[in-house]
Amino acid sequence: MPAIEVSHLTKEYRLGAMQGLKDAALAAARRLLGHPVPERPLFKALDDVSFAIEPGEVVGIIGHNGAGKSTLLKMLARISTPTRGTVKVNGRIAPLIEVGAGFVPDFTGRENVYLNAAILGMSKAEIGRKFDEIVDFAEMAEFIDTPVKRYSSGMQVKLAFAVATSIDSEILIVDEVLAVGDLAFQRKCFDRMEDMIKRQGKTVLIVSHNIRQLERLCSRVVMMDHGRKVADGDPTEVSNLFFDYSNRKIKSVASATSPGRVRASEELTFQVVTVHDSQGQVVDKVECLHPVRVRLRFSVNRPLKRICFLVGIHTTDFVYLTANNNVEDPRDLDVGEHAIDLDIGRITLLPGVYSIRVWIGTPEGRESFYGENLASVQVHSNDHLITRQQEMGLFYLDGTFTHVPLKKESPLVVTPS
Amino acid sequence: MLTVARNLYEYRELVATLAWKNVAVRYKQAALGLAWAVIKPVTLMLIFTLVKSFVGIDSGSVPYPVLTFAALMPWIFFQESASDGVNSVVSNTALIKKIYFPREIFPITAVSTKLIELGINFVILAALMLWYRMAPTAHIAWVPLIVAYTVLAALTVGLFGAAVNVYYRDMGQALPVLLSLLMYASPVIYPLQLVKDKLLVQQAAGEWSQALYTLYTLNPLAGIIDAFQNVVLRGRAPDWGALLPGALTVAVLLPLSYAFFKRAESWFADVI
Repeated sequence: MPAIEVSHLTKEYRLGAMQGLKDAALAAARRLLGHPVPERPLFKALDDVSFAIEPGEVVGIIGHNGAGKSTLLKMLARISTPTRGTVKVNGRIAPLIEVGAGFVPDFTGRENVYLNAAILGMSKAEIGRKFDEIVDFAEMAEFIDTPVKRYSSGMQVKLAFAVATSIDSEILIVDEVLAVGDLAFQRKCFDRMEDMIKRQGKTVLIVSHNIRQLERLCSRVVMMDHGRKVADGDPTEVSNLFFDYSNRKIKSVASATSPGRVRASEELTFQVVTVHDSQGQVVDKVECLHPVRVRLRFSVNRPLKRICFLVGIHTTDFVYLTANNNVEDPRDLDVGEHAIDLDIGRITLLPGVYSIRVWIGTPEGRESFYGENLASVQVHSNDHLITRQQEMGLFYLDGTFTHVPLKKESPLVVTPS
Repeated sequence: MLTVARNLYEYRELVATLAWKNVAVRYKQAALGLAWAVIKPVTLMLIFTLVKSFVGIDSGSVPYPVLTFAALMPWIFFQESASDGVNSVVSNTALIKKIYFPREIFPITAVSTKLIELGINFVILAALMLWYRMAPTAHIAWVPLIVAYTVLAALTVGLFGAAVNVYYRDMGQALPVLLSLLMYASPVIYPLQLVKDKLLVQQAAGEWSQALYTLYTLNPLAGIIDAFQNVVLRGRAPDWGALLPGALTVAVLLPLSYAFFKRAESWFADVI
């Protein structure tokens, strides 16, 4: 018997404001008279979603803002009722949907632990038994009799997380709570989650934007988009699909926004930057660790002497990553159309979306043209060895690890003799 | 009805904890603390006593201040639990949107909270009776039943009102007005005996008198207040004739009110 079974789940919301009494009465009158009533448009937050989760499975849900993740969790936690379809849950659910709901600022930490635990469905005896453990975990022993309004926000969240995760339940629903407190506490939360999952064998449903974390915790990942389930399966595969998808989205936003800073002069009219793959095709997506050609097209309006070029790459938020130029080899250019190629042997940028900037001028610094965000390009890879580095930086770091057996007497540091 | 009882039993600790929270929050930073629960009925009692000295209300064998205080206790309990009940769902938006438990917990908690304050007022009532040298009789054993009946009457208003208030906040605005109207239609300032004399003895409205009296007692508060005064002050059993029509009102409306609440409940989180 599955722990959670969702079939054809649909949730619709009516867009627009609530009707006032007058509008409601008018609409009712029109309906009575047989006139058509203007319906407010429907918004489908969830659209025919079906899946089943077996006991002990750890399932991650990913998707962009507004994909329907939180709505789905609300249905599972019975907070909201589906428009169509059914949700079946077998077992006690502990919802960690925004921890600390119902904290009373005027109450002390101790009072809030009792209150919050009761709200989450714990009995008084149960709370009494677990109280010390909760306080210990939250590292709050010193402040437990201080009103919560004097706590820092981090302290509040720590206490709330400790209460929420102490519930004995078969099913745990987690919404973005792993990112609480400082790094040390985050580590602790993560370990606790991992312990609940791996050792206590709980069924867990996690929503997070930290995809790599999900990849590590989950045995299965579901990807949502616009209220629909678009992928469901192996964590790595679905995560890569998601990254690909977000990169495409970032790219369309990046090229739609105004093209950064541009300084032009009369002597040179810049036309376009294009990116080509090894076959010479114009592309907007290149493979990581493959050759890439960047071509600049422009027209020169009067003869220019000793002109050199700079082609740089920056992130969509304008962090300059790298650049190359040919100051040691300037060219003279006649009036007319020109094209300049920069051939990159192997692009070592990690998968993501990047933009190109171009500078044209003399080695002495007389500028003919400068532009940022002139084109954007998506770097892509299917190689797990590459994609797993994506969260760790911007450039691919090639290398291998080897275990070096040391002799007992070999010194750690070789002192000069 | 069975699920209601089961839910209530299952969630009794939550109701107790939430009621304790409501009381504690209310008085945490108030220097006078729980005394505030007493100040309202005592002030009203003093005002009514002052008014009574101008207009002259026949309070029978019982001194007017005690009589009116014994009327104000169930009245204020009813009035405040009904209005807190109506606002209970809306004022717990944060919980409604985050956690599920049966939503009737909120109006029920609101009423339970007021029970505590009612208890405190019994101390004042005892002091007043001592002052006027009045001794309670065995009939005082009726009090828990009368209070339980008042709870049901308050829930009838609270459940329906709370559900409507989620959709139309007008409810929260209109309720204080309606309740203060209801106070004048209930034997708070004057004893029920006056109405009874006027309508049943003197037949002041002719052949309509009996019907008018029944209409008056359809208000459950009429029976409640009179019964409370009877068992505590007059040492008499409740007047069943005055209680029955009101009990009928509650028996019909409470299930409807509850059904309405349960139907509306599923959309609270979406609409609130």
